Amino acid sequence: MSAAAAPRVLGSADTLRLLARTLRYVAPFRARFAAKFLLLLVSMLPLLVLPWPAKIVIDHVIEGIPIGSQARPYPELLAPVMERLAGLDRLEIVLAVVGFQLALVALVGAAGSGASERDSAEAYLSSGHDQATRTDNQANAGFSVASGLLGLFDMRFTIRLTQAVNHHYRSRLFERIQTLPLTTFDDQRIGDAVFRVLYDTPAITSAVYRILFTPAAAGVLALTVVATLRALYGDHPLLWKSAAWLLAIAFGVALPFASAIRRRSLAARGAGATATSSLEEGLANVLAVQSLGAEAHARGRFDRASWGSFRSHRALVLLGMVVFCAAVVPSLWVAARVFSYVAGLVIEGEITRGDFILLFTYYLMLAFSCVELGSMWLRVQESAAGLDRVFFLMDLPAETDPADAEPLAALASDVRIEDAHVAWPDGTPALRGVSLELRVGELTALVGPAGAGKTTLAYLIPRFLDPHQGRVTFDGKDVRRASRSALRSQISFVFQETALFDATVEENLRIGNASASDAALRSASRVAGAHEFIEALPQGYRTPLGRSGAKLSVGQRQRLAIARALLRDPRVLILDEPTSALDPETERRLVAALREASRERAVLVIAHRLSTVRGADTIHFLEAGRIVESGRHEQLMTRPGGAYRRFVELQAFGAEAKESRRDD
Amino acid sequence: MTGSESSAALAALGRGGVADRVTFELVLRLLVRCLELLRPLRRHLRLFFAGFGALALAFLPVGILLFDAFWTRALQGNPLLEIEARALGLDPALFVAVDTLGAAERRRVLERCVAIGLGFGAVVLPLGLALYYYQVWILQRLNQLLRVRLLERLQQLSLRFHAESRIGDAMFRTIQDSAMVTQLIEVLILTPLSAASRFLFGVIVVSAFDLRLGLGLLALAPPLIWLAHVLGRPLRVGFRRARETNADLTARIQETLAGIRVIKAYGGEAFEQRRFEAASQGAFAAAFDARALFGFLTIALFWITAAGMVVAAGWGALRAASEEPLQAFGAAGAAAWTLGLFNYFKLRFGDGTSSLRLAFRTWGQAQDVAIGLDRVFELLDLEPEVKNAPDAIALPPLRRGVRFDGVRFRYQPDRPALESIDFEARVGAVTAIVGPTGSGKTTLMALLLRLFDPEQGRILIDDVDLRRFDLDSLRAGIAVALQESLLFGTTVRENIRYAVPSASDEAVRAAARVACADAFIESLPEGYDTLLGERGTKLSTGQRQRLSIARAVLKDAKVLILDEPTAALDAETELAVLERLAAWGRGRLIFLVTHRLSTVRRADQVLVLADGRIAEAGTHAELLARGGAYASLVAHEGGP
Repeated sequence: MSAAAAPRVLGSADTLRLLARTLRYVAPFRARFAAKFLLLLVSMLPLLVLPWPAKIVIDHVIEGIPIGSQARPYPELLAPVMERLAGLDRLEIVLAVVGFQLALVALVGAAGSGASERDSAEAYLSSGHDQATRTDNQANAGFSVASGLLGLFDMRFTIRLTQAVNHHYRSRLFERIQTLPLTTFDDQRIGDAVFRVLYDTPAITSAVYRILFTPAAAGVLALTVVATLRALYGDHPLLWKSAAWLLAIAFGVALPFASAIRRRSLAARGAGATATSSLEEGLANVLAVQSLGAEAHARGRFDRASWGSFRSHRALVLLGMVVFCAAVVPSLWVAARVFSYVAGLVIEGEITRGDFILLFTYYLMLAFSCVELGSMWLRVQESAAGLDRVFFLMDLPAETDPADAEPLAALASDVRIEDAHVAWPDGTPALRGVSLELRVGELTALVGPAGAGKTTLAYLIPRFLDPHQGRVTFDGKDVRRASRSALRSQISFVFQETALFDATVEENLRIGNASASDAALRSASRVAGAHEFIEALPQGYRTPLGRSGAKLSVGQRQRLAIARALLRDPRVLILDEPTSALDPETERRLVAALREASRERAVLVIAHRLSTVRGADTIHFLEAGRIVESGRHEQLMTRPGGAYRRFVELQAFGAEAKESRRDD
Repeated sequence: MTGSESSAALAALGRGGVADRVTFELVLRLLVRCLELLRPLRRHLRLFFAGFGALALAFLPVGILLFDAFWTRALQGNPLLEIEARALGLDPALFVAVDTLGAAERRRVLERCVAIGLGFGAVVLPLGLALYYYQVWILQRLNQLLRVRLLERLQQLSLRFHAESRIGDAMFRTIQDSAMVTQLIEVLILTPLSAASRFLFGVIVVSAFDLRLGLGLLALAPPLIWLAHVLGRPLRVGFRRARETNADLTARIQETLAGIRVIKAYGGEAFEQRRFEAASQGAFAAAFDARALFGFLTIALFWITAAGMVVAAGWGALRAASEEPLQAFGAAGAAAWTLGLFNYFKLRFGDGTSSLRLAFRTWGQAQDVAIGLDRVFELLDLEPEVKNAPDAIALPPLRRGVRFDGVRFRYQPDRPALESIDFEARVGAVTAIVGPTGSGKTTLMALLLRLFDPEQGRILIDDVDLRRFDLDSLRAGIAVALQESLLFGTTVRENIRYAVPSASDEAVRAAARVACADAFIESLPEGYDTLLGERGTKLSTGQRQRLSIARAVLKDAKVLILDEPTAALDAETELAVLERLAAWGRGRLIFLVTHRLSTVRRADQVLVLADGRIAEAGTHAELLARGGAYASLVAHEGGP
């Protein structure tokens, strides 16, 4: 998941593919998108009506021109309305128009076409100048071209739509992350995963909106404006041509800058994720940081990462400005020409000064829509970066089960590891052809020096790892033929470093077996030696443990983890250094309990301590990825110069043993 | 219980429960505190506002000139003013001393205006952009300051706080909530001020047309104020809820991913997925409520103001229809209503309503900003349990030793951890602390590091109370190798150098040798430069423990605490490490917390802890002979 390792390069073809994929992804929501589209069109209808109230008032009330004899005839649609108004006096006309406008305001939130007479509804809140906070608005985007009741409804509908899509996709992404193989999962990148799930997924809706709605709205607006202008003022080809030029400029400017924007956008997001990771790491390890007195150091790391993310974002802002300048210069030239032209019309006496405002306002709306339309490709680049980060994670090889997964019967006789070879991603071999057998009814121990590969070997059984050569079988059946969940439901794995959750003791215990009874809970805790201290807690089994069980000592956590494993009543019980943090007394009791437990299941214990290992039915001594010796304790001890014997002697006699050997 | 780290404050923090405490005074106080934050950026702010002011000032004359020249001269044909003609570079004889301007002249004025406008724009645009970039930089710096300040506070808070709180919530506050500080100036100061002044300007101008209309515009304010008052509390509650649920979601993701191994091992993926989806839904629902309400506010704002505008426009139209004289400020004026004046009046009235709307809309956003900042200060205001005394002194080189005098400590009122701890450890001695799990061994060491302060009693270094020392210098003087070795996603070298970033490579290697780690480090693909955890270079627990010991050794402190440092090592390695440590540790004070008796044998003093008390103390031989708790521990370890 270390996507930040090498900077990804997105070409235009990649971008198009991402966008196409996004559209396919949101296909399940197409009905609602279509409804939104319809709402969009409906919201734009009132625009056709807006200029007329003001025109009516100006011409027939203020200027006093009787209806029917004004310079330009009204559009056919308005004819019936004008007929009704024809016989009314000025006051009545004003009342009618005001009434109509009030109704419009209430319904669609628009009274006229001026900037202060129209409003759109949207619910955008403040955001900061960094990647993460900006996407919050995207994730909950709710906008409507109209205001009033229609806008209220439209905005709410849109927020719900945006949220539904985002919820769906971040849930899928989260699901995907959970299925990533244990070994590729890097817990230093938790922050990165948080960033992708929360702040990269909104790129999906923003991309769709930028592809579908913004251009559509802009296009419809542009057409509406052209129609209105023609109706009001006749044909002025310069206006339409210049609008087309603006569109072309906006689009043309996008092309050379598109890849730069993609790159910068990816970088900004990556930097944001790094800052999040750095923060998460510093917070998760606060005990170590405090004990080591390294607060300043940790802060320094976060400071650099955080400022790096700000810098990255700023680079994006700068790029945006450059693009803006590149577009604005020719556009201003075009706009200035139109400005002069329209002013010229006033000078020639073709239109009045009042008309100038109206005409130019409309022209600006047209110009704005054309620029929006033209810059669609540019806008979409930023979304593409987010999309890429989301899909990258979705596409990582996950733990998949075979399509024809077979059921796995409860283990009856043995688990076999046959000639397993495992290597780390960088090529170093971890296991070189290891074979062993775990039999039901037996306690097997894996012993060996640190780094020999014991944990790696144990990981093969629940398929946290797959050997690239060799196989693992359950009663003779290759475990790869069954589903992972079926396999793991029969196995309880107690890790070396216990992970407890921010929940009550009870809830932590029940993680593997939600339906366990209270009696089973207590019994498993007793066997693990945890019952006494749990009862001594303020709320007993209902005591909340706090973050990672921080309120318990390491030994207590370990015993809880063992109780959790036992509660599951698994066929295979694997314990990785279960007694390393336990005192001898507790350890003795636990070992006795394990012996008892092994009567009905296969138990594998990885340990250093002789006291844990001594009573096992079979001991495998692992060294440098190979099983060097196997047998019972007594057998192995009788081997002169045997590796196991050496190991035991060192443990028991400590310094004296070494010294006495030196004397030999 | 100490200060603000009390359970009540902790319960409120990150677990919700604070409904609405944002009042006007609180917002003002937040404002004041944030202004304090701006202090380091004073110089930049002054520069920025100077630039901004200069630009605005430059705009003023140019804007007025161009507007008047265009609107009343070019479009209407009135002659130019003397000053205008000069500014536009036109011959006064042709443009000033005439009654009206002909079409050709008007075109020339137009051309000049456009040219000057474009020229001015060409100069102002890059300046304006540069200014904007500067503004972004300043605001980002402000945000950065706040972020780091938050992390600093979090680092100072004790384990008690961290055990109760959620990482995801702290992350949310540090990244999301703190971002609101960038909006502070704009949302709480600039926009309201400029909108208010524009509104007042509009009222004045409209009053010039008709006092009644001016009053009408003014009268739009009270309903909006009422609306704001009514919606204020629901908005704030909504915004707080939205932030809390999102912080909750962040925490949920972080916790699941931190414990992913167990989840996979116990098949809990489906359960976690359900919890995630519930949290995600909850976050979206809360965001919907908040935003829908905010959106409703903007719509309602428009309803009121637009209604006012429509009515006013109608009234004005009737006046213009009958060409009534203007009722300028109550007195009949010289001018009368014309179409042109009517349009201008609409413009000004509309502008007045727009600015009113903007002011209240910004007020709505300000509620969110205030809530975000409130959450930030909730955290910043937590008093760390353990702080430096005002006259803290640096830790001097150790001479005699460490003494615990009648120390008592409890994590919580009903959970005693340590009781009547009395002992002394001398320099040059190895003190082993043994005992069953949960007997308080690690707590003892945490007290020495001043991660907590004892409830009763004192801890003395060279007969000086621990609390007199500066925290940083105290912790710099004590090196720790923890039971759970915590390593970071950097190189091996950086991990060892964690607390001593300036250590030389040779020192790092020497420390690794003492910890018997250099052999395996050299065998790693890139030796000391190997990245940990990033590309699958996983170390076994034993290797991690040795790295952790190397890290402690590198610190070269007089006091060394080893908390079960060799638990994951096999006997042979453990022996080697202990031998080297003993040699290195001559003249230092070593605490060895363990229950592996192979390690304890060499200690000068053994303290046996049981249920938070010292049950026995003495040397290995003495205690063995006594046949008490220690003796039975040894018996259990057992020989072959």
